[in-house]
Amino acid sequence: MNPGMKLLLVMLIALEISFTQSLTVNVILIVVSFAYILTQHVSMKALFGIIFWPLFPAVGLFVSQWLYGSAGIHFAWILFTRIYAYVFLGATFTLTSSITDLSLTLEQDFHLPSKFAYGVLAAFNLMPKIVEEIQIIKTSALMRGEALHFWSPKLYFKSILSSIQWSQNLAEAMTSHGFVEDYERTHYKVIRITALDWTLFIVLFAIVQVLLFFIRY
Amino acid sequence: MDNKSQATGGKKQSQWTLRNIILIALIAIFTGIIFWGAGFLYTGLTVALTPFGMAPFANDLLMGLWCMAGPLTGFIIRTFGSAFLGEFLGAAVEVFLGGQWGAGAFISGLVQGIASELGFTLTAYKRYDWFGLNASIFTTVVVTFAWDMIRNGYDKFGLPLLLGLFVTRYISTFIFAGVLTKMIVKLLDRSKAINL
Repeated sequence: MNPGMKLLLVMLIALEISFTQSLTVNVILIVVSFAYILTQHVSMKALFGIIFWPLFPAVGLFVSQWLYGSAGIHFAWILFTRIYAYVFLGATFTLTSSITDLSLTLEQDFHLPSKFAYGVLAAFNLMPKIVEEIQIIKTSALMRGEALHFWSPKLYFKSILSSIQWSQNLAEAMTSHGFVEDYERTHYKVIRITALDWTLFIVLFAIVQVLLFFIRY
Repeated sequence: MDNKSQATGGKKQSQWTLRNIILIALIAIFTGIIFWGAGFLYTGLTVALTPFGMAPFANDLLMGLWCMAGPLTGFIIRTFGSAFLGEFLGAAVEVFLGGQWGAGAFISGLVQGIASELGFTLTAYKRYDWFGLNASIFTTVVVTFAWDMIRNGYDKFGLPLLLGLFVTRYISTFIFAGVLTKMIVKLLDRSKAINL
């Protein structure tokens, strides 16, 4: 499925189950998403991650609602499954789609101005370097006997200085590769929203509506 | 290197240049990764508070940290939408790093983005000072709290617990999105690295 459509669908459903209170539908969404993820050959580590880490907020919410909530244990279970539904729905997108394809389709099919699509993409591609840079900033501060934590203004200050420099470099590099802002572009890799994408989107969305309408428990 | 070439020349010129978009995205990613490193804190707090049924406090204690990218980018690139984009991208980073929220982080990012942008909108993008920052803090706390009433079922709690959570969130947001942001902006201002 087209990554843009997939993201839109996932977000719409996630938004909807934030307002509705159906335990059964939450469980159905979790099971279907999980089955879909299993067909996509994702690593065991990623699979373990999406099952294990949400356990903390889910159990936390469950217990507090159970002890102090006025709506009883059924509502506590709804919140518990809601967290997992968010994560598994999200994983159907994040574990299977590339951010490059997403920005390409956002530009070509969703009419996002190209400077946003490529600018943000360029920044996201630097993510591994950013992780490294934060380590460098922390280490060089340590060499001066200064420990930087997430509450130290200096850590952010130095990060922003790097951002300013890198953004300038990246923008210039893109310009020198022929990128012109606010100008119609041709594409090497064309991504279209096909009839199949539309059908899948509408059918899946409709099914969720029907389920939410009929299953209230 | 010429770091001052921000598009601030003509007042009417759009701030949305390729460079500024990349800058907002980079700042959002930097802050997103720094918070991600503090993720153990959230998990640890949640584990410690769960037996008492107080786990939502972990969420509210750290809320300010998660809502920092918005005011920060809003302050550096002074135009409509920059706080929103910064906050939203900051949340998106967590999704791609494999945070524990999944699609929920995208939606939280949308809500938090609108919330912190609203503060700058209320001051008509003219007050880039302590007052403007506080307006953004106020809208962030109110909007995100209203969202948690729905999403995390806060509306089912009694008034004392609700008040406790609200005050906790306000203090956290005030410290991280307020005091810390102000200190960072001050450092930037002093360094003359950017025309604020």
